[in-house]
This record gives sequence, C-alpha cells and structure tokens, in this order.
Amino acid sequence: MKVQYKAKRNLLETIFQVEILQGMALTLRKLFSPPITRQYPDEKPPMYPGFRGQHALVRDPVSNDAKCIGCMRCATVCPSRCIQIRYHDDEKGKRFVDQYAIEVLRCVFCGYCVEVCPVGAITMTEVFEYANYDRDAIQYDKEALLENWDNFIDQAGYDESYVNPFWRPRGIPASALPASQRMNVPDDWTIEGQFVGTKVRQTQESDTLTQAEENNV
Amino acid sequence: MLFYIREIMQILIIILQIAVLLGVVLLHVAYVTYFERKIIGHMQVRMGPMIVGWHGLLQPIADGIKSFFKEDVVPEQADKPLFLAAPVICLVAMLAALAVLPFAEGWVLADINIGLLFIFAMSSLASYGIILAGWASNSKYTFLGGLRSMAQVISYEIPMGLSLVGVMMLSGSLNLTEIVTAQENSILSIYLFPQAIGFFVFFIAMLAETNRVPFDLPEAETELVSGYITEYSGMRYAMFFMAEYIGMMVMASIGTVCFLGGWNGPFAIPFFPPFWFILKVYGFLFLFIWIRATLPRYRYDQLMALGWKLLIPLALLNIFLTGLFKILVP
Repeated sequence: MKVQYKAKRNLLETIFQVEILQGMALTLRKLFSPPITRQYPDEKPPMYPGFRGQHALVRDPVSNDAKCIGCMRCATVCPSRCIQIRYHDDEKGKRFVDQYAIEVLRCVFCGYCVEVCPVGAITMTEVFEYANYDRDAIQYDKEALLENWDNFIDQAGYDESYVNPFWRPRGIPASALPASQRMNVPDDWTIEGQFVGTKVRQTQESDTLTQAEENNV
Repeated sequence: MLFYIREIMQILIIILQIAVLLGVVLLHVAYVTYFERKIIGHMQVRMGPMIVGWHGLLQPIADGIKSFFKEDVVPEQADKPLFLAAPVICLVAMLAALAVLPFAEGWVLADINIGLLFIFAMSSLASYGIILAGWASNSKYTFLGGLRSMAQVISYEIPMGLSLVGVMMLSGSLNLTEIVTAQENSILSIYLFPQAIGFFVFFIAMLAETNRVPFDLPEAETELVSGYITEYSGMRYAMFFMAEYIGMMVMASIGTVCFLGGWNGPFAIPFFPPFWFILKVYGFLFLFIWIRATLPRYRYDQLMALGWKLLIPLALLNIFLTGLFKILVP
C-alpha cells in the first residue's frame, strides 16, 4: 500500500506558514455561518414519531379508565422488570386491574411493553421533561400514568384518539396484530418502511396485498 | 495655602484623568471577554453567551458581580502573603503600563522619554505576579504553570525587545509619542513595511508575552487544570483575568504605536482624535481572538525552539538590516 503524504512545503509556504493561514481562513469563514445551537429551554428539539418518552396509560374515552386488561404481557416482556401489575378475577372470570405501576428509574425505554400490548393500553408519549428531585415522584402508579396521558394530550394538542404507528411491532402484517393495534392512523404518520393497519377486519386479498407491500418494503 | 491651589488642582485633574482611563479600560476588559466568547463561539458555529441581556450583552457585568461576591479561598498550605499579593502585582503592573500609552496627540497620562522601556519593565513585572502565584499556591499544577511562565517570559522578552530596536533606530526615540510622529514620513505613515520582519517577530513575541493561544502554556487547561490560577477564586481570579486582558490591550497598543502609526489614519476624525488608534487596537484584539479560535497549543520544546532559534536570529537580522538601511539611504 502506498501512503499518500501531503506534498512537502516549499520555502515560500514555510515562510508564510500557509497552513496557519488556511486554518485562519476557515475560522473566519465559519464566523459568518449560522450557528447550529439549539437554545434548548426556549427552543424544543423536533419530535419524531418513534420517540419513546414518558410512559402513560391511554385513557379510554368510553370507560374513562385505562384500557389495560391485565394480560401481563408487558410485565413479562419487560427486560428491566420495572412493570408491576396487580389484578383480581371475579367469579365470572372477568379480570380487574387493581394497580399498574412503572418504576421509571429502572426502565430502559426499549418500548417492548408498548409493542406487545394487545389493546394499546400502555404507550410512550413525547414528553421528556419530567426530571424530578423526588424519587417517588417518578414511580408511576395507575393514576399517575393516566394523568400522564391526560397531560400529554393537553400539551401536545392531539385528540383522545391519538395513535402512533410506532406503538405496534414493525414488520408484522396487520392481520397478525390484535384488533386494537390495527387502528387507522392518519396518512402523514405513515412513515416509509412502516406498516400501518387499515381495517379492523380484513379480507383475504387485502391481507396478501399488505403482505406484498411489506415485502416491497 | 493659596499657593498650593494650582498644584492641588493639577493633582486632582490627573487623578480624574486616571479615573477616566481606568474606567474606560476596565469596561473594555469586560467587553473584550464578551467579544472573545462571542467571536470564538461563532467561529466554532456556536452562539456564545445568549442568556443575560440581549444576545448576552450583560454577561460581563453578571460575571463581574459573580466573581466579586464569590468566596476568596486561600489554600491551607499556601504562602499566604505572597498568595494574596500575586494577583495585585499582576494587575498593578499591567495598569501602570497604561500610563505611558499615547491614545492621541497629547492624550497620554505620562509622556515620559523611556515609554517603551517602561512598558517592557511593567510587562515583565506582571509575569512576576504569575510566577509568585504559581509558587505561593503550593500546588503542583500552579507551580508548573509558574515555571513555564518564567521560562516563556525570559525567552520571549529578548526577541520582543530586539524586534522593537529597529523601530527605535528608525524613530530615534523611546518616547511613544515621538515614535508615532516619526512614522508620519514613512510609507503610509506606518512602520509596518520598513519593519516587516520586526513586526513578525514582535507579533509572535506579543502572543507569547500575553500568554495567549498558541503560547498559553502557563495556564494550559488541558494539562495543568488552569496553571497558575488553579487555586485562585473570586475576585483574585478575576484580577488575573483583568491583568491578562489589559496585557493584551497594552501589547496591542504597542503594536499600534510602533508599527501601525498610532493615532494617524487615512483622514482625521473630528472631535475624537483616538479613533484610528482604538480601531487598530480592536483589530489587534480581533486577531488575538481569531488566532485563539484557530490554533492549537505549541509543545513546550517547540515554544523554546521558536523563541531562541527563530525569533532572536530574525530580530538580530532585522536590527542589522535596519542599521544598513539607515547608513545607506539618507
């Protein structure tokens, strides 16, 4: 291999220190270029749809309560085991979720709980400014998680039916997803490479179509 | 008592002049720090201070208030009298150098005949402050900073003095006002062209003298925490900073007076004779900041080699050529 060295400076270049002058020309040029600084507290960073921020339990507009059915999938899949769910079954076999707690300090923000949730109950919002001096204040119980959702909906200006395509596992055809994750999402959220469900019940043709679309992606 | 009224009035007028000069210079020091941060920020595609005031304009004032009210920590093992005196020596020496600078025709506090020598003496005295600070703090980083400063000052005083010998020979005076007036019949009424080598040597020695990048070895923050000022805090730290920036301004003024024709400009500005002088000093300060934003620090042996092997021979050559010129031309 031949190493390409920079040409040796000639006498004139040595006397006038051209490298220093080149460097100074660069800094002078950059003096007039616009700075790339983001003045953070005044100027928020742009939010991308896949952002995994503060946890929230979606408040169901019908029941005014969490959608969680206590299937324990999120608690099972959670790699840091920060989700704790307490439930009881009544005599007819209906399950009631008594408590749903997330220990945010242990969370690694992988988003598996959101992907695995069959009813779209647990979500990760775009809120990221919730640092606190108090440890207990970021150990969310069910009420706090529902409140997070309300706050997020208020702040971000979305309506209650807000759904994010990143809240469902990627690369799986819509037909293979549980019904609640096949919800319609606005077109502008359909990001390239994303596969977004269309209808709650789909025909066989559209299933194969989506399969083909997926293969194209 | 009546006999002394004239004398007392004169003293009062001088005190007033000193107060005005000090006020203007210290305000400049404050805002040079602001412009330095701003310019380096923009050169590095950042913004610099933006919070205090419009685009951070009040930042130097906030800094001043902060350092004024901060605790003045004296290390337990420090040599206390020296530790307390060092920043004062630094600042006083630098401020004393201001007295002989001619800002315009007649705008000078002390028009003495050894003006240039006086400034050399004062800038060397200021480095005593640095050396003492390094010694008195009783910490290895400050001590290394002090040692480096000592070596650097010794090796760069010489080329600096020698580089100005050419100017002295051409103007035939050490008085700064006379040096400026002597330049009026030179090319463009500046000594830059007949003394190009002298200016080159002076400029590099000036950077080294004021401990600026790329010769900021005494306070090399990547190696020595911050060198001789590591153990200082509060107002004393600010005094070192003021001394550094006043040193920058004094050196820029000498460069202006000796090589760029002082207050003489392409045309006279009415009501404000020091206009061109101040503009040239600002140019020098911008150059200081520009170099700081661009160049990395020299290695210690490179610093010494540059001083002794390049600048001193060049300065001697310059003296020789100037003497030859003086003999042959007139």
